[in-house]
Amino acid sequence: MVAVMRERAAIVGIGTTAQGELPGRTANEIAVEAIALALADAGLTKDDVDGLITCRNLHARSGIDEQVGALMGLNPRFGATLDYGTGNFSLHLGIMALAAGLAETIVLVYGTNQRSQRASFGIPIGGGAEMAAAAGVVHVAGPAALAFRRHQHLYGTTEEQLGWVSVAQREWAQRNPLAIFRKPLTIDDYLASDPIVAPLRRSDLTMISDGGAAIVLTTAARAKDRPKRPVYIDGFAERTAFRADQNPDNLMRPWLGDLATELWSTSGYTPADIDALYIQDATSVWVLQMLEWYGFAPVGEGGRFLAEGHTRPGGSLPVNTNGGQLSEAYMWGWLHLCEAVRQLRGEAGERQVAGVEVALDCSSHDFLKGAASILTTRS
Amino acid sequence: MMASGLLPDTAAPLTAPFWSALNEGRLSAQRCTTCGYLRWPPSELCPECMRPGAAWETLRGTGTVWSYAVYRRAMHPALADAVPYTVAVIDLPEGIRVLGTVLTSTGDADADGEVRIGDAVSAVFEEVAPDQAMVRWIPAAQGPRGIA
Repeated sequence: MVAVMRERAAIVGIGTTAQGELPGRTANEIAVEAIALALADAGLTKDDVDGLITCRNLHARSGIDEQVGALMGLNPRFGATLDYGTGNFSLHLGIMALAAGLAETIVLVYGTNQRSQRASFGIPIGGGAEMAAAAGVVHVAGPAALAFRRHQHLYGTTEEQLGWVSVAQREWAQRNPLAIFRKPLTIDDYLASDPIVAPLRRSDLTMISDGGAAIVLTTAARAKDRPKRPVYIDGFAERTAFRADQNPDNLMRPWLGDLATELWSTSGYTPADIDALYIQDATSVWVLQMLEWYGFAPVGEGGRFLAEGHTRPGGSLPVNTNGGQLSEAYMWGWLHLCEAVRQLRGEAGERQVAGVEVALDCSSHDFLKGAASILTTRS
Repeated sequence: MMASGLLPDTAAPLTAPFWSALNEGRLSAQRCTTCGYLRWPPSELCPECMRPGAAWETLRGTGTVWSYAVYRRAMHPALADAVPYTVAVIDLPEGIRVLGTVLTSTGDADADGEVRIGDAVSAVFEEVAPDQAMVRWIPAAQGPRGIA
């Protein structure tokens, strides 16, 4: 917990490559490009790095710390690879390594060429994968559609209300030069499109993409010497749900509520303190779920909250101001972290939200894990 | 009717009893021989008491729809001929929750309106590959509607 750390960790550099389709390049090559960009942003060179945390690709043995270290010619004191390396989990491992004194300047990275490699995501998700596949439940769209239909049944949530997730994020993406999908999307466009896995539509799901992102993490003391304004990590929590479908109502992921309770109580922050919110959005349904479990809307009222426009540009709670995975790029939440840093630094250009001092990044890994971090420029 | 789709290795030691029971028109699950916990999905150890050992038990083959979704697009090439098809999360009276395919007249429950949350469903056994049946579910339309 935060209280036992001697000092806070701080993000002092971020790097993002082009996103979309990067043919002819390996995942590790893309990762190293992102690292070079992040080090330049931090005003550091690779010789300053003594920790490397990488993220294994889903369908290939790439993204391993040994491979990335070899490619960039680095012998860090500390190296590790997460198999479920959505941004927040890697960030938390970095914080642990700093707190333990295993490293002082850590690079976190994810690079992927999964689009160019035509990686299939038509695989069952969650526990009992074999039995799910035999029933035809493949791709995350299936469980997400089942979860949303249940939400509709319990609370009267409408497809139009859910549609505001994708529409609001597209509005943000139109202000983001990095985003892959920038074509306007209105709620009428959304409703007119055909469901793919009903009740979900194409716009409720991510498109697989290539790209890289990296983050430089160090201690608050060291962060003061860096050129960019440090972004401190002021709170974090994780939860697992390894028992998967044996957990009660696991498709609704109620254990994210336990994660949120721990996050708020250990950090001292409340939902009202959050100026910008980032939710890793493999599907739009995850945004609906996490708005509720983290307490931004009462459980059952996430749909109404979305339709009221709070999450859109100009709204009271900007959500996924990069466009999220639905519109920007599919980067396992890494770009959410990078965007949070840009907003906190005031570097978000046309989509800059005024006065962002505290951001929350929430991620989840299938139906198995969740993690969240509170980021702030407050010293 | 649904195409064979994605059948796993039906001879795998862990699940072979499940698949062979389907061929006899029985839906089954493991019950832990140590603590009595009814296990789903199949597993080498009991997730309650961590002991090996289980006896396969025939289930009633009835259930209640917790939620459903309609695949209109195949999300895997093996399912290209199967769409549209309806899947559901089904609560069984024995206390476990399973994923299943629900057979309706059009395959698309949103179009034919034959599946609703809370509906009672019954297991049927459909031959999906030579010498292999798979459990599917049909709405128990004649019976009373369940309570969601």
